[in-house]
Amino acid sequence: MTAPKVGFAGMTHLGLNSAVASAARGAHVTCYDGDEALVESLAAGRTHIVEPDLDRLLGEHAAGLQFTSDLATLSDRDFVYIAPDVPTNDRGESDLTGIRELIERVDGSLPAEIPLIVLSQVPPGFTRQLKLRAGRPLYYQVETLIFGQAIHRALHPERFIIGCGDPEEPLPEAFRTYLELFECPLLPMRYESAELAKISINCCLVASIGVANTLAELCERTGADWSEIVPALKRDKRIGPHAYLAPGLGIAGGNLERDLNTVIGLADRHGTDAGIVRAWIHNSEYRKHWVLRALHRRLLGQVEDPVIAVWGLAYKPNTHSTKNSPALALIDHLDRYRVQAFDPVVKGAPVEALGIVEAPDPREACAGADVLAIMTPWNDFKQVPPADVARVMNGTLVIDPYRTWNPAACREAGLTYITLGSA
Amino acid sequence: MLEHRNTPARDPERVVLLGAGGFIGKALNRRLVEARIPTLPLTSSDLDLCAEDAPARLKETLRSGDSLVVLSALTPDRGRGIDTFMKNLKMIENLCAALGDSPCAHVVYFSSDAVYPLGTGLIDEESAAAPTDLYGVMHRSRELMLLQSLRQLCILRPSLIYGADDTHNSYGPNRFRRQAHAEGKIVIGGEGEETRDHVYIDDVASLTHLVLTHQSTGILNLATGNATDFGSVARHVAALFDGEVEVCPTPRKFPITHRSFDTTALLKAFPDFTFTSLEEGLQLAHEGMN
Repeated sequence: MTAPKVGFAGMTHLGLNSAVASAARGAHVTCYDGDEALVESLAAGRTHIVEPDLDRLLGEHAAGLQFTSDLATLSDRDFVYIAPDVPTNDRGESDLTGIRELIERVDGSLPAEIPLIVLSQVPPGFTRQLKLRAGRPLYYQVETLIFGQAIHRALHPERFIIGCGDPEEPLPEAFRTYLELFECPLLPMRYESAELAKISINCCLVASIGVANTLAELCERTGADWSEIVPALKRDKRIGPHAYLAPGLGIAGGNLERDLNTVIGLADRHGTDAGIVRAWIHNSEYRKHWVLRALHRRLLGQVEDPVIAVWGLAYKPNTHSTKNSPALALIDHLDRYRVQAFDPVVKGAPVEALGIVEAPDPREACAGADVLAIMTPWNDFKQVPPADVARVMNGTLVIDPYRTWNPAACREAGLTYITLGSA
Repeated sequence: MLEHRNTPARDPERVVLLGAGGFIGKALNRRLVEARIPTLPLTSSDLDLCAEDAPARLKETLRSGDSLVVLSALTPDRGRGIDTFMKNLKMIENLCAALGDSPCAHVVYFSSDAVYPLGTGLIDEESAAAPTDLYGVMHRSRELMLLQSLRQLCILRPSLIYGADDTHNSYGPNRFRRQAHAEGKIVIGGEGEETRDHVYIDDVASLTHLVLTHQSTGILNLATGNATDFGSVARHVAALFDGEVEVCPTPRKFPITHRSFDTTALLKAFPDFTFTSLEEGLQLAHEGMN
């Protein structure tokens, strides 16, 4: 079997991870981006994003990956993915200008028989409204990228959801051959269904998160412990072992917010009820400030000139992204206090911009601190013994929303430990 | 959510208090005088806001650099009917007429948590203001009248306020204290299961002082974030008396309702502010009564 020749246009998070995973699955991949410096860097094996296994796979499959800033290089591809990340504004709304421009350029540069597959996050109705050269085959493929697990998800998708102009028509052979490399079910459907399927998946995830947050807060007030309840839920077949049931500090990252806002916009336009989606967003905003409320309840206003240690600035582990990060939302309201922060990945200029002290390691961040807030549950933090931290802190309070540390070990070390979902 | 025009805080040139003779007005006047802020306290005897000449008199009184605190209102203990409602609106109509031509630097309007319906869960400043009685509608109407007329406006929506000098005697700590003092017992509805957020009067004065010095605009609920049931409040109050005070449940006439506040916006606006605990506040109110 001849390896499919695949093109990817747009080398941000989605495009790069998908391209590298495709090469790892045996495809011949050509990656295009208009940013020459970025292309040069990627060609030299240097990535600009943090994802587990990305650098390793890029090195291992360098022979199957070509990087270019010349669009014409994609002309020999069997099909080309349109894969730039679509940015969102502060209100979680997509800015589609960049992807529209890219599609226009790619469409204008490549022969009309090369199929284009839109992989980026686009709203329902986007794909069918595209005006491409006559005869250009066009598909939309749902991405389910998770920051911090992007490579794993791209290598091992649960299924492929493919939006088609006519789902009854067979997929182009090379495209089908490529998808079959991943050994998962193919679900062809009309464009609009595929676009809404992506949003539906995220709504189900947010609903689970909303349930977890709402019930975890009740646990905090009633003496129950959410961590004891979760295993019972996961053994229920209707909920499942992989359900999103970990309480958190609201929805972060940007992608889920984007989809929720898209649903609200569509529902308002079409006159359907999206009250529940608005409630999820409201609950998320409320949860985002859980640590701030805990700090006020336990420390601020009670201790003069408190020093606050913050571990973690990224919005979740294994990523450098700080978009909608709970840590940053917290720090934004602590500007009158001394904040000493450490993150394994977010360093330098982004930390400086926050006007806080950047510590060289987790222990140093805690030196003289009255409280430690563990805002991103990086694995690195699990390795630090609570007793070590207790020794260098001035106070004893540890706010660990994600239960990064073992509560019993913290209490043994003489720390006052509070976490989500537990009284 | 509030926005501060003054950061750092700065004393206003002068504060004019409309409704200075009331429970909040007196406490706020005291706080401003302590802070040596020039203050002009006006009661309804000094200036009747319902009167025909009220706009002209207000214009004569107000200066462009003034901060104006609007506390004037006929509260439910002065009537719950349409007549009271219309008089309350007339006051703000006259105020808007006066401020329309010659606005002052900052206006603080004391509204009420009555703009929120009961039974809608945790309340924050974004909760729908959908009042269910004329008193709540009155405050919401006044808010909208002021919002339409003014730019530098702060709307404060206090929860239940208690303190020794309360003049309203509504169901809650103030009535409980007086009842215990006069009758040696406190009568509560049902078992007093309903939870409410009780704010000590001096905290209301302190927060208003902060709003004035920061020249804050926007909407802020004045609530502690801790809701306590009336039964517990009654038992706290009873315990403050030397002799035995009986807390007497009565057959329940109304369904149980609860009200709690998410005070994140207040924490963000004034991070250093700490509330008087309910225990301490009840003690202070008790001592004030004596």
